[in-house]
Amino acid sequence: MATISINNLARAIYESSEKKDGMELDIVMKKAVSLISKKHLMSKSKEILTQLEKIIDKDEEVVRAKISSRIKIDKKVTDEIDDFIRKRYKAKHTVLEFVVDEKLLGGIKIEVGDEIIDMTLKNKIKKLQDYLITQ
Amino acid sequence: MSKNYIVENLKKQIGSFKSDAQAEKVGHVIEVFDGIAKISGLSDIKASEMVSFPNGEIGVTLNLEEDSIGVIILGDFSKIHEGDEVKAIGTILSVPVSDLQIGRVLNALGEPIDGKGAIKAVKSNPIEKVAPGVITRLSVSQAVQTGIKAIDALIPIGRGQRELIIGDRQTGKTAIVIDTILNQKGQDMICIYVSIGQKDSKLRKLQTRLEEGGAMDYTIIVSAGSSESAALSYIAPYTGVSIAEYFMDQGKDVLIIYDDLSKHAVAYREISLLLRRPPGREAFPGDVFYLHSRLLERACRRNKEYGGGSITALPIVETQSGDVTAYIPTNVISITDGQIFLETDLFYKGIRPAVNVGLSVSRVGSNAQIKAMKKVSGTLKLDLAQFRELEAFAQFGSDLDEGTKSQLERGKRAVEVLKQPQYAPVATEDQVVTLYALTKGFMDDVAIDKIKSFEEGLTEYARKNAKTFYKEVIEAKMWTDAGEQELVKVIGEYKSSFVK
Repeated sequence: MATISINNLARAIYESSEKKDGMELDIVMKKAVSLISKKHLMSKSKEILTQLEKIIDKDEEVVRAKISSRIKIDKKVTDEIDDFIRKRYKAKHTVLEFVVDEKLLGGIKIEVGDEIIDMTLKNKIKKLQDYLITQ
Repeated sequence: MSKNYIVENLKKQIGSFKSDAQAEKVGHVIEVFDGIAKISGLSDIKASEMVSFPNGEIGVTLNLEEDSIGVIILGDFSKIHEGDEVKAIGTILSVPVSDLQIGRVLNALGEPIDGKGAIKAVKSNPIEKVAPGVITRLSVSQAVQTGIKAIDALIPIGRGQRELIIGDRQTGKTAIVIDTILNQKGQDMICIYVSIGQKDSKLRKLQTRLEEGGAMDYTIIVSAGSSESAALSYIAPYTGVSIAEYFMDQGKDVLIIYDDLSKHAVAYREISLLLRRPPGREAFPGDVFYLHSRLLERACRRNKEYGGGSITALPIVETQSGDVTAYIPTNVISITDGQIFLETDLFYKGIRPAVNVGLSVSRVGSNAQIKAMKKVSGTLKLDLAQFRELEAFAQFGSDLDEGTKSQLERGKRAVEVLKQPQYAPVATEDQVVTLYALTKGFMDDVAIDKIKSFEEGLTEYARKNAKTFYKEVIEAKMWTDAGEQELVKVIGEYKSSFVK
């Protein structure tokens, strides 16, 4: 018998629980948990949840972004970033996580999924270093 | 150089530096072990694309899965940690190619490892390329002279051919290819020796031997040693053929040797099993045939419109106790245009090169043989086949008729003539003279233990005295009646002086 991938499992849970609430949702959840336990995938529950989150985000057009900067950024810039992300990733909703990291020296870094837009000073210096070495 | 100058220069360089904010796709290492890394992210990466790790190591993607990718690490994986950021380089794995690589020893990534300094290559070729199509090709019609009588006469190899050299360990497989490389001097051929999973001491010995013979002037060695990772052993032959293609594109003839493809298959098996690909026969993955077929298919001879040039491939496969029905030998036998089969028994009987003439074939090489050689070797194969049959039969009976006896004697002499020491290639013209003397029966009354000295003396004498014959064979590739008469006369003269 073929093994079930975590992605498939998460999608199945999502689709079967879609537009359900109350008792119905309870039944679906119980069945889902018993299936996971039957397939010996309890240890993978964290991955399943992450995958489920991803599926829900995609369906509801939510984009999660991590924004790192050296200092705390003010509301004006935050709004601009939010606007930029909405446009670039065609998102209806955004969930922004702000991180302060002094090692970045300056500028900001935006991480969305596996894409990184690095506009930090640290990255710029690194690029300059590479450029001078190769010249 | 003044301090100011350096500062000014630096300022200028920094001034010309531009950096734009770019969106980059990155991945993270989930796990790393035995030269393999599993990476999450990098959602739009291609197969065989290069990725870079933070410490500068390069990896190549082999597995593209639903939510992760499998990468082989080309180098030291001990400094790669879980969670490291991985970036896609955006190009398929390619190796530097240059004319300056001739005479050098390179690693599987095309970098020099012989301590003679860096090679500034301006071009790089992808290691995976689709083989030249059918309309660009020309059939094999020009010979690769190995200088080994048994091969040039009976199992001829043509330019653009793929001829497998197969045999147990210690049967002289590498010796044949070294002799072949040594004999390419002045034949307008570039040789590439790809060493896969060999001992470094063996490689060093081979390199020294080639240097002594002056063969490094037209030879490149690509080496993935046994102490290096399986990933490098896996890519080494592709690196070799990419370099070969660079020379073929210039219209040159290239001879490439893969020593050996059994170790290559084992390295690929290791990688595949670590990447959790399902094992098949002998635990090799399902695509091990394609692994070798796509490599050997790149050997070809191109026609004039497409620039000419050729790649002749001599893959080597090592068998276990003569078993040619194992998985890799049967695969490579079916891919190549023939095989040279070496046998332990013959080797210990003193028949060296230990070529089993009965089991060895060259499916396309006979078209490449010169007419003179075809003429003398045509009957030789028959003589040897009859001899082998009679030899077994003669052991039972003592009363043999004259015809059988003479066939046996002829066969014994043929076997003796085909023996040849290592590093002693014989020129084609000399081979023709020797084989002419043998097949026309001039050696029938020479004692078997004298055959070797007879042969040596004869070629030396004929070279001096049968000048017309030699000229005809070298220039027109075939003798005329006048040339033949001259040779017969010369052989007669030599024989009378030899017997005395």
